[in-house]
Amino acid sequence: MEIFDSPWLINMLAKASKTPQGRLLALFDILHDWLKAPSFEQASVTLGAPSLPLVNYCLEQARLLGAENPELLAEHIVLIAQNAARHAIVQPESNSLIHARKVAQALIQAQTQRTGLAANLKRSHAVHYGVAASLLMLIGAAAIWPPMLMHSRNAHAQLAQADQRDNITVVNAAGNQNKALTAIDASRMYAKYEQMRQGTCQFPEALQIPDKHKSIYLENVVGGKLPTDLDDLSVANFYLEKVRCNFTPMLMAASK
Amino acid sequence: MSGLREKILSTASDLFQTQGINSTGVDTIVATAGTTKMTLYKYFSSKELLILEVLKEGHQDFQTWLNNKLNANARHPAEKLQKLFDYIEEWITAPEFNGIGFIKASAEFPKEDNPVHMLSAEQSMQFQEYIKQLAHEANIQDADGLSLQLSLLFKGAAQAEQMKRGSDAIKYAKTAAKILIDGALTR
Repeated sequence: MEIFDSPWLINMLAKASKTPQGRLLALFDILHDWLKAPSFEQASVTLGAPSLPLVNYCLEQARLLGAENPELLAEHIVLIAQNAARHAIVQPESNSLIHARKVAQALIQAQTQRTGLAANLKRSHAVHYGVAASLLMLIGAAAIWPPMLMHSRNAHAQLAQADQRDNITVVNAAGNQNKALTAIDASRMYAKYEQMRQGTCQFPEALQIPDKHKSIYLENVVGGKLPTDLDDLSVANFYLEKVRCNFTPMLMAASK
Repeated sequence: MSGLREKILSTASDLFQTQGINSTGVDTIVATAGTTKMTLYKYFSSKELLILEVLKEGHQDFQTWLNNKLNANARHPAEKLQKLFDYIEEWITAPEFNGIGFIKASAEFPKEDNPVHMLSAEQSMQFQEYIKQLAHEANIQDADGLSLQLSLLFKGAAQAEQMKRGSDAIKYAKTAAKILIDGALTR
């Protein structure tokens, strides 16, 4: 097994700790144990090059713990783990992975001591993360879509048509007390998402959406995820219609 | 005639550092150095011998430079240890930095029984021994442990910097080194 390139390693890391720091440092414990396992034979061991999933997993943890330069921290930690594992194969008695763990710990400290984020995040990272995520989504909704340059009559007509059909569906379904989505509803919704994707869309009023609708808007309009019930679908549809899209291909618009 | 030998060595060193060792042919070296293959083989009987000589000289330069800097600027043994990463930073962030010879060479020659790999592994150990000596002089109990830690830290930072210039790797390594050294000194 090439351990640095195995999904098993990432699974073990994910299970190892509740904190991002703990998961990063577990890399050294797991490698240490793995290289000391009785079944381990020096002749058969190949470490392999660190896979992209492993580096990305470490990057995710480095971001969560609030590192100043998460890319560098993840890269440096994986390099140290690899060098230490090689060292451990040549000199098992050096306990190089235990020492490497201390180095990684010092690096994490070096990358967080100015902000003190690591300590804060340990206590309330769920809250921080939630707030940051929703803020980002709102900013994204309001600002990332650049102002439209031109209306497309065709697109508007299509959206309006789809809206009429969906309204009928909503009314029918409400009468039947059936809140589940039909295949037709789903395919219509997907068609709208697909259409949105082809244009440049904006909806600055998103910032004024009532709180109870925000999650639906973010998930089912911005996120492009299909609503799970018909009430949400009608809300999502309502906002979907408000989003203004410019379907002029980027290159054409730019050449004017 | 020894001037020609030096010229070949320094040309090969530059090319190995900037283009890689394996991808630099003997033809390129002689053309750049303005000499002939025959002259090159007169001084170095094979490309491998030339590589080994370049590595030896490069490592010697690095160690001598570092040692001189530490001796000139730090009085107490503990101070030398604490300033070690300051000078490593100076070396690594210099505009002409192209990587640490023995780190690059061991990556290009991964086979354990290759003479180039063996020499670079030996140089890596020598560097760790050097740090261990500094730790000993500073009365650090676990000099073995600390020197291994600092050498892992240094290697990783040099590799990160080799992959991406201006990565700040050495900046954080310096802070981490201070944390590790301070921890070992107070124990």
